[in-house]
Amino acid sequence: MFRTCDITGLKVDLRAEKLIQLNAVMAVVSLLIGVIAALLLVLTRWQVVHLLPVEWYYRVLTLHGLNALIFWIVFFEIAGLYFGSTIVLNSRMSSPKFGWLALILMVLGFLLVNFTILSGNADVLMTSYAPLQAHPLYYLGVILFAVGALTGVFLFFANLLIARKERTYGDSLPLFTFGLVAAAIIATLTLATGAIIYIPTLLWSLGIIKTIDAGVYKLVWWGLGHSSQQINVTAMIAVWYLGAFLTVGGTSINEKVSRFAFVFYVIGINVASAHHLLVDPGPSPAWKVFNTSYIMYIAVLASMIHAFAVPSAVESAQRRRGYTKGLFDWLKNAPWGNPAFSAVLLSIIIFGFIGGVTGVVNGMEQTNIIVHNTLSIPGHFKGTVVGGTTLAFMGATYYLIPLVFRKKIAFFGLAKIQPWLFGIGIAVLAVSMYILGAFGVPRRHYDITFSGGPFTYTFNPAVDFFWVLFALGGLLAVVGALAWILIVVISVFFGSPVKGPQDMQLQLASPPPPAKENHGFEAPGTLTLTLLFMGVFLIFLLLNWGWLSAMWEVR
Amino acid sequence: MEEKEKKVPFLQLVLDDFMFLLFLGVTIYAVSYLIWGLLELAWLSPIPSEIKESLLGGK
Amino acid sequence: MALLPPEEGWYFKRVAKDEKMWITIALVVCLVLFFWMIVWHVYGKQNPSFTTYRTTPQEFNALTQAFIQKYKIGEEKGIPVVEPPPNSDVFLLGKMWAWEPILVLKKGQEYRFHISSLDLLHGFSLQPVNMNFMVYPGYDYVLTFRPTSAGEFYIVCNEFCGIGHHMMIGKIIVKE
Repeated sequence: MFRTCDITGLKVDLRAEKLIQLNAVMAVVSLLIGVIAALLLVLTRWQVVHLLPVEWYYRVLTLHGLNALIFWIVFFEIAGLYFGSTIVLNSRMSSPKFGWLALILMVLGFLLVNFTILSGNADVLMTSYAPLQAHPLYYLGVILFAVGALTGVFLFFANLLIARKERTYGDSLPLFTFGLVAAAIIATLTLATGAIIYIPTLLWSLGIIKTIDAGVYKLVWWGLGHSSQQINVTAMIAVWYLGAFLTVGGTSINEKVSRFAFVFYVIGINVASAHHLLVDPGPSPAWKVFNTSYIMYIAVLASMIHAFAVPSAVESAQRRRGYTKGLFDWLKNAPWGNPAFSAVLLSIIIFGFIGGVTGVVNGMEQTNIIVHNTLSIPGHFKGTVVGGTTLAFMGATYYLIPLVFRKKIAFFGLAKIQPWLFGIGIAVLAVSMYILGAFGVPRRHYDITFSGGPFTYTFNPAVDFFWVLFALGGLLAVVGALAWILIVVISVFFGSPVKGPQDMQLQLASPPPPAKENHGFEAPGTLTLTLLFMGVFLIFLLLNWGWLSAMWEVR
Repeated sequence: MEEKEKKVPFLQLVLDDFMFLLFLGVTIYAVSYLIWGLLELAWLSPIPSEIKESLLGGK
Repeated sequence: MALLPPEEGWYFKRVAKDEKMWITIALVVCLVLFFWMIVWHVYGKQNPSFTTYRTTPQEFNALTQAFIQKYKIGEEKGIPVVEPPPNSDVFLLGKMWAWEPILVLKKGQEYRFHISSLDLLHGFSLQPVNMNFMVYPGYDYVLTFRPTSAGEFYIVCNEFCGIGHHMMIGKIIVKE
């Protein structure tokens, strides 16, 4: 039932390991579909090419949303949850049978959803806003996937209860697993909400329920839709801590601070789904302001705490190794040749400076007027879930391949630059989308020349330049993603086996020497970077409120 | 030998109790976002009759 | 450490000076952001509305047609052109795939817009001002606008509403 890893010394439940591998494979398959869809979409929205015909544009957009935003990430996260609750805790899988059930449900759901989309029976986009209606099998597929994922989440908690009872880890969970606990809590309410909204919608598509109120649908749906992204944020940050540990032996300089930050997420992050309804009729400004602020920004505070805690984990470890010169010697001498390290660092920078800066402003009740349903919105979330979460997961995989699949990383030279290809591509794509949206370019829109309409509106000619940047960034990101998929597939299925620690291409850092008694700043380089971030954030904030105040008056 | 007083702070116990955190997370979200939001939708009133009458002429 | 349980006594470890400084700055910014939104409702001139009414597509359509009849001044491309008086109730209907009617307004005057949909969700995206709101069937979103610029403005639909979504574009003319 167990093997002892000859590289990490951890006890590995073989039944958990198998499930981790299979969920990871499904994740990669989903990402491949999502990336191919992305390529087609980039070449369609860039109307110089306008590749797809109109119905296929919306169809592929739906396909892209489901596979890239849901399937790829959730399959990967389930693998991570199993890893964090068994191997990391030297403990066992509570019920492999339920793990298999979860996998089968998720695969079934994945197949049903993709099939109904490709056959033209679900041209409703990922949000499937009622009264838009898809084929019942589409909704059934989503429900099956959600139930399977929820089963996996419950297994995670069951694993933890067993590990706690059998005292395999002491009193407090390791930080990585604690972060996953926060993610799993969010996942629980996310998937439960999914059931609450999709079951009546399924009945409606079968004709059993007569109507679905559009306002109720959208309100409840985003309890699923945005909370699912908060799972991704939390899991990403857990992976950041993991990455800091594996690559440089760093850990949070204060466990209490990091753990409280995760608890702030648990308390405040889920209500922020309200930012999808800020310019909607229905809920009052009181509800909007309270909820969109993540309850007085408690969860944004948490993000800012992690923004300091993660880089300072790296800085602190590096300073203890002797890299103490100036503000950034620790960063210059970090293992940039380790693709897991570069992926995690790029993920932090892109998530913070692009995703984070734009996100808070978009989510303020009044400035949302500027961005809602423009291309700025997907521009924002390319910065968070693609440049942030996806890139971090890609980085983590470079350790997953040798440690869980026991294979050497193929095309290692390509692997070293892959995070840069993908990261730079996504950054350029995200920023150009955001700017296009600022010019008013709509999202989810087939033709911004409005051919066939009674009038036409011409956007500011500057958009032509940003469409080119959009295409270039998008294409580079696709190349970076396909490179990663190629490396993963070849390594896992055709790579040479890892026979022991001597075959590890990536360093598993040994713990740095203990910190000397220090009453000054522990991470001045990180403080400089976070203050720079705050400066950029405040400038962006003020610009947007300035732009808002110059618009027509409305109340 | 001296018995060391090992009293675990309440907040540390909270941090270590993941089932309680699960309850907290789900409940706060359910009340503040879902229930409050749905109530607000339920509380909406119809278009005032003065507006309707001024256009439709008291039909 | 991230993979190992935390060290003994982790709960009592002193928070480093720079981490404390950063958290304090972040906390202040967060509180300011929250109260900013509230203050803007009092002093700011751009706020999403406090007012929504329940309606039905049939009722709202009847009101819109009556509104058009009352203030119609012409037609463009088959769409009625309407010039309502300032400070009145203006009805705008979104449907697959058009906005009805075309509006003629006066700069600097207030108009109480009632916006709703005949069928699916639509997006009211006023260009080139770039103000964006949602349009629902069954809900009358009352937005009181005061145009601060004159000229020709377009209403782009920016919520997916079917195959003709990109043909859905309306017009507002604002006179000096």
